[in-house]
Amino acid sequence: MTLFAVLASVVFGAVAKDTTRDRWLYGLKVFAEFMAIGLVLGWILYFIP
Amino acid sequence: MVKTESAQVERAEPTPSIAWLVGVAAWFVPGAGHLLLRKWGRAIAMGGAVWICFFLGLRMGGHMFDLSSGQGSSSLLQVPPMIANLGTGVLYIVCWLLGIGFADDPQQAARATYEYGNTFLLIAGLLNYLTMLDAFDIAAGRKP
Repeated sequence: MTLFAVLASVVFGAVAKDTTRDRWLYGLKVFAEFMAIGLVLGWILYFIP
Repeated sequence: MVKTESAQVERAEPTPSIAWLVGVAAWFVPGAGHLLLRKWGRAIAMGGAVWICFFLGLRMGGHMFDLSSGQGSSSLLQVPPMIANLGTGVLYIVCWLLGIGFADDPQQAARATYEYGNTFLLIAGLLNYLTMLDAFDIAAGRKP
């Protein structure tokens, strides 16, 4: 999941914004969102038989 | 209002043919579009992400889709994932020609990483579509 988040956020970050700083910030934000949503969904599914 | 819109359409510059060439190159070889545009950092980051994603997917035992795996109308269900897989361009074509990653093997499907591999292979293609569009926009002068 972490690998997936890293690879996807690299591409999303590079595509989305115009300045290098904005790209880094957006990439980091997307990475954090992938990780957070993945962990939340993982725990939700853990309790569903 | 209509006249203003039509005037804007008339003033829009046509897409240069080099942009289409760059787009095709970017699809065919992930990262090649940005290499042609001398965007070295983007080529390494975006192309590298696609290549890594694809080979990780294969290494995890993922399965790629083509039209031969379904029967009857169920082959239509293979079309959307096949389009995603096809996004990796030459990587998909070479694997298809060599028969790598297309076999319906129950042992391979039983691997714990099988679904992860499928996802990585699909995502590699979809990320390369994004990469291709980015290279096209840069070549067309719509993006810095």
